[in-house]
Amino acid sequence: MFNRSLRRRTVLAGVMLAALAGVSPSVLAQDISGDLVILQWQTGTDGQMWKDVEAKFMEMHPGVTIKEFQPAGGQGDARGGMRTALMGGEVVDIIINTWPAFRAELVNAGILRPIDDQWASFGWDDKLSQSWRDLGSIDGTTYGITYTYGDRSAIWYKTAQLEKAGVTPPKTWDEFIASFDKLKAAGYPAPVVIPAKYWAHTEWFETLLLRTAGVDVAAQLAAHQIPWTDPKVKAALMKYAEMLQAGCCAPAATMLAIEEPYPTLYTAEESNYMLFGMWTNAALKNDLKLEEGVDYSIFQFPALGMGFDDTSSVDTKELNVTTNGANPAAADAFLDYIVSPEASAIMAGYGYASPSSAADGSLLGPVQQIATGAVSSSKVQFVLGDLLPGDLVDEYRVQLQKFLQNPTEATVDEVLAAIEAKAATAY
Amino acid sequence: MSRSLPQMVADPADVSSRDGGGRLRLPATRGWRIKETPAAWLLITPVIILFGISVVYPLFDTLRLSFFDIKGLAPAKWVGFGNYVTLFNDATFRNTLLTTLIFTLGTTVISVSLGWALAMLCAFAPVHTTPFRGMMFVTFGISEAVSGYMWLNILRPDKAGLLNAIIGNFIPGFAHSWLGDPNTALWSLIFVASWSGVGLPLMLCFAAVQSIPRTVLEAAYMDGAKPTSIMRHIMMPLSLPGVRVAIFINLLGALRAFDIIYVMTGGGPVRATETVGYFMYRESMTQFKLGYGAAATVVLLVAVLVISIPAIIQRTAGAK
Repeated sequence: MFNRSLRRRTVLAGVMLAALAGVSPSVLAQDISGDLVILQWQTGTDGQMWKDVEAKFMEMHPGVTIKEFQPAGGQGDARGGMRTALMGGEVVDIIINTWPAFRAELVNAGILRPIDDQWASFGWDDKLSQSWRDLGSIDGTTYGITYTYGDRSAIWYKTAQLEKAGVTPPKTWDEFIASFDKLKAAGYPAPVVIPAKYWAHTEWFETLLLRTAGVDVAAQLAAHQIPWTDPKVKAALMKYAEMLQAGCCAPAATMLAIEEPYPTLYTAEESNYMLFGMWTNAALKNDLKLEEGVDYSIFQFPALGMGFDDTSSVDTKELNVTTNGANPAAADAFLDYIVSPEASAIMAGYGYASPSSAADGSLLGPVQQIATGAVSSSKVQFVLGDLLPGDLVDEYRVQLQKFLQNPTEATVDEVLAAIEAKAATAY
Repeated sequence: MSRSLPQMVADPADVSSRDGGGRLRLPATRGWRIKETPAAWLLITPVIILFGISVVYPLFDTLRLSFFDIKGLAPAKWVGFGNYVTLFNDATFRNTLLTTLIFTLGTTVISVSLGWALAMLCAFAPVHTTPFRGMMFVTFGISEAVSGYMWLNILRPDKAGLLNAIIGNFIPGFAHSWLGDPNTALWSLIFVASWSGVGLPLMLCFAAVQSIPRTVLEAAYMDGAKPTSIMRHIMMPLSLPGVRVAIFINLLGALRAFDIIYVMTGGGPVRATETVGYFMYRESMTQFKLGYGAAATVVLLVAVLVISIPAIIQRTAGAK
């Protein structure tokens, strides 16, 4: 009896051992439990999306309770609140991050845990290509797993407005400039809305830099390997001036007072085009209840014919895990989950694209289909403003505000010299 | 009232409360010996502890931080007075000093003079103007953030902005970006801050006018003085103590202004409305240069002290 029982137990243990040896870490992760704290700074529709994403994870892992830590806000830049929280001793397992420069800062402060081992054990190579991994890496070590990305070179428009004005989405820069007169004649006084109160006026410069000088020059400028006074940088700003001088926009004082462009375009119907992030999709769908692809759409930045029309500006959001997090196992499991079909489906419902090959692309709406297609066929460069040191990015934004006030060659020289002076001390 | 205070706290019959010259001597001047006043120490200790934690410690820690170079989450580096040298060579900071001066003087002059003038008018019909004074004082009670959002809509740059719409009735098609134009942004903020702050000077000046002995006013009236003369030669000079307090409080409030700037302009456009208070926030919290921001804080503190000390000395001398 004893021997039989012992033999049975031995066999069972052997079977279990064999089973454990054969399963993937993601299956093992089913056993995770405890609190999982996420430093989550997004609000509104994006904040609600996170609630849904987290709820699904907790449904899949009933032993885990996700707690969000919301840092204090800061006029479009959450980093101040995030730093305060981390320096104040707040212990979190996961950080949502969208700034590569901030990731470097966190790594230098010893806050982030590398995820190369997890990348191999969870098999994320099957879901994310090497280029996505590179985006989340510093000096060959991976710290971030990208869960969504956006096309920052897409121009948003309201379909009915362009139809009313008899304008088809312009494909070239000249067509784009020429469309202003038709739109004005149709009753839209400022065809392009540029919300310049804080940062969004830099978007036009950044894509123009890519289209006039290419991704390499943009990357060199971000690293300050070329000066801001470089003729290629000046040429991009002069193209921006060309658009302003063509009567694209409201007076500078109006632009400088606008923080959010949606009301100007979609409610007041005073403007037609805007260059803004892909979170616009979520805002228009969920907040303004517009139908994606029917009420609004996008077209990729018009071609300039200067040899760099295959370039696009992109942003990403990634997850980082911390060295002092109380629940690293759950954090790793969450990273695996964020690139899963389940999480990607929730994000697609809100209008966000996942870079994961496990995501069902058919769930994306028509606007996101255009955006993801454009990004996949482009040479991409991360948003310049998010790559610059914090000290410099502020000066960059203020100087481009000055440029908007008087977009002449003399002002261009003056503002680029001022940014260069700041850059000389910022790196 | 303050002139009769010594008689109230010191018993005139108690010879020990008068010095050799017959001048009053307050009990406090006997000295604080812990054996004699254990209960006083017991009562004051919690206050001292709380004051130390909430005021003295942060003050000294800010001073300490100002001697370090702290960028983001990087380790702090000792730089001595380096931050102060950089600060006074920083053209942006110098610009914020000028902006702060204009903002502080602008809001103080407008809100105090308006409050004083309204107090004078209200004094002629104190009962009938009670609801009006109440309404004016309510603006002082509204959070600056809330009034900032309200004014943000009033000053909207398009025709839907209330102010533009009102002017548009007289000038068709009028639309001005009050907060987006660097020439009007600061003055718009000064106007809003003055609107928000006029209630306190009104109440302080009104109280000062009310404390003028009725007999003085009646005597002037009997002598045939006109209301304007009474106002100019009696009410205005005798209400000056209230005006001084109002100026002092407004100066300090305006120097430290932050909420309304944060909500309405974010220091822009092109830093046209960036005061020292906002500069301090931007450097410390947005750019996370804690040492540099702390140095700006110390400069602001010194400015507040420079303004406060003469007022405190004057008040103390007045009390004596």
